Amino acid sequence: MKKIFLILFVLCHSPLLAKINIITASQDLRSITEFVGKDEVKVESLSNGNFDLHMIEPRPSMVFKLKKADMVVRIGLDLDMWMDSLINAAKNEKIFYGKEGYVDASVGIELMQKPQGKIDASMGDIHIFGNPHYWLNPENGKIIARNIKDGLIRLKPEKKEYFEKNYSDFCLKIDEKMKEWKSIINPLKEKKIITYHNSWVYFAKAFNMDVVANIEPKPGIPPNANHILYLINLIKEKDVHIILVDNFYPTKAAMEIANKTKSKVIILPSSVGGEKEAKDYISLFDFIIKKISAN
Amino acid sequence: MVKIFFLFVLSLMLQLNAQENKSISEGTPLQGMRGKTVNLPDISALGNIIGYLSDDPTDSDKNQLSLNEVETAFQGYIYPEMRADIILAIHKHDGDYESEICEAKASFLNLGYGLSGEMGKIHIDFGKINKLHTHHLPMTDRPLVLKKFFGDHELAGQGATLKYLIPVLPFYSQVQAGFWSINAHHHSSAEAEVLAINGSTITVNSLIHSDEEFSPADKVYTFRWNSSFEVGSQKELELGVSGLKGRGAHYKEHKDNVEVTGADLTFKWFPSTYKKWTFQNEWMHLKREVPIGELNRDGFYSFLNYRSNKYWDYGLRFDYSENAFPTISYERAFSAIITRHLTETSYWRLTGKHRNINGENITEGWFQLSFGIGPHSHELE
Repeated sequence: MKKIFLILFVLCHSPLLAKINIITASQDLRSITEFVGKDEVKVESLSNGNFDLHMIEPRPSMVFKLKKADMVVRIGLDLDMWMDSLINAAKNEKIFYGKEGYVDASVGIELMQKPQGKIDASMGDIHIFGNPHYWLNPENGKIIARNIKDGLIRLKPEKKEYFEKNYSDFCLKIDEKMKEWKSIINPLKEKKIITYHNSWVYFAKAFNMDVVANIEPKPGIPPNANHILYLINLIKEKDVHIILVDNFYPTKAAMEIANKTKSKVIILPSSVGGEKEAKDYISLFDFIIKKISAN
Repeated sequence: MVKIFFLFVLSLMLQLNAQENKSISEGTPLQGMRGKTVNLPDISALGNIIGYLSDDPTDSDKNQLSLNEVETAFQGYIYPEMRADIILAIHKHDGDYESEICEAKASFLNLGYGLSGEMGKIHIDFGKINKLHTHHLPMTDRPLVLKKFFGDHELAGQGATLKYLIPVLPFYSQVQAGFWSINAHHHSSAEAEVLAINGSTITVNSLIHSDEEFSPADKVYTFRWNSSFEVGSQKELELGVSGLKGRGAHYKEHKDNVEVTGADLTFKWFPSTYKKWTFQNEWMHLKREVPIGELNRDGFYSFLNYRSNKYWDYGLRFDYSENAFPTISYERAFSAIITRHLTETSYWRLTGKHRNINGENITEGWFQLSFGIGPHSHELE
């Protein structure tokens, strides 16, 4: 009996059976990691789906989670700069920059709006490496998944085939769903959109939509009366009917613009978990596409 | 045929050019590695402009708008898992500008076995606020208890600290210990005429304190243990205890040995992405052994802050502190603080403060504009 207990104890604590403990910066990365890692991973996100990823405040409890992690998956491109101080404070050598357990999900992404020339705060809270909202193009989800898959294989090479298969299944699922999502979006007449923050350019590219302007005059800068007036005129001139607002941004300016034009405000989650129905990376786009097409 | 070949070459060149214009992410360098192509550290500058009003007739600094401090920082990695932060400041002290090395430290992020350390000139990690730089504080002036027990500026020492993140507990818990050398305050002597016993006047040398502040100095030893508990969704409770042992800054004259103990409790609640409640409390006890006996002094502050959205913070602070000198004085203060954030490193702030010092009332007000240029970061605070 004692032997059986001993064997069970050893098996339970064997690295071959232990799940890879992963901390992600966002719920989107959590979801994709779960698609690729499935039963081999235990994943937790440091942020909620309805929180602005620019503004996450690092907290000691997050340090504690990173201390126990085998792998960290971050958004990169300066969106989750708050992760730097957390990783440093956790003193976990497995997840330091460049180590086996460090995954920057942005590697290999075709960047949009990478600023050229001199960059300073007169341009607002600009991201020096390019627009970081890349996960909102489902095609980029495949690149994120590839980065995560490579990280998982580094940590558990004996499960390479398993992770490769899950990754392929995920890519196939995205390809399949892309056809479905495009078949809903393509027939829509309204392809011109105004967004609150410049967070929907990757999405717009994926679905042949056109971001005409942002309610923020510059990234992170709240709109003033002049800019609202400019947008009202622009909407009338360009015949824009849709204003997209991430569900954590203020809606007052968008509503004011909508009231003075024929446009309609659509409040959307930009991350998994931002709405109940958007429970994973696939259903996030199901929800977004459904909301846009319903308007 | 030549035309077809020409067109083929042209289309190939156009494709190549289009590929060159694509910008593919190679991943993002860490803070302190932003200037990777030319191997530059993160370089930043911060300014702090203060307008100060007071109804205290004896206050010589009142009713002025002036540049209070300029800070420049050079931050980067010097070795894998080892970074350097050099922060130089020019600040106003008693009406004059003084330059100083605010902090210059090497941080060892991973010494193995959960240990990390810092070495150099460092703001000592005592309580919740002492480590923070002026521009990083959620208030214009430092709480009374810190001014009374540590002086007008952050308590900074030259030395080293070792930190250990306790691995076995089911919550965040870190202990650290440091040893420091802190400069004593300067004194100068001047001749003064005093009345002798026989009624004649004689000239004697008298010591003049260039600085009336009290603060620990000389060889100082510190300790801190802080823990944090996730007490619900987006709710965090942080507890800490700190200790310090050293001498007084005027030890040569006062022969005083100093012990400071402190406890802090902070509760943070994030109801939504921008909304945040902070309730922060810090208590400190000073024991000062002087040849004539032992002085025991207490002080604390309570700070309640509400961030209503991305741009606005509203705070209230209550201060109580006794002074560090033999003749005890009691001071209470109540402050109201409004902050408008412009960017991550720039904001303006209004503060109103009502002080009661041994029954005498003083009202003060501040306008603060703090601005930053360039990438600037601090370790988790």
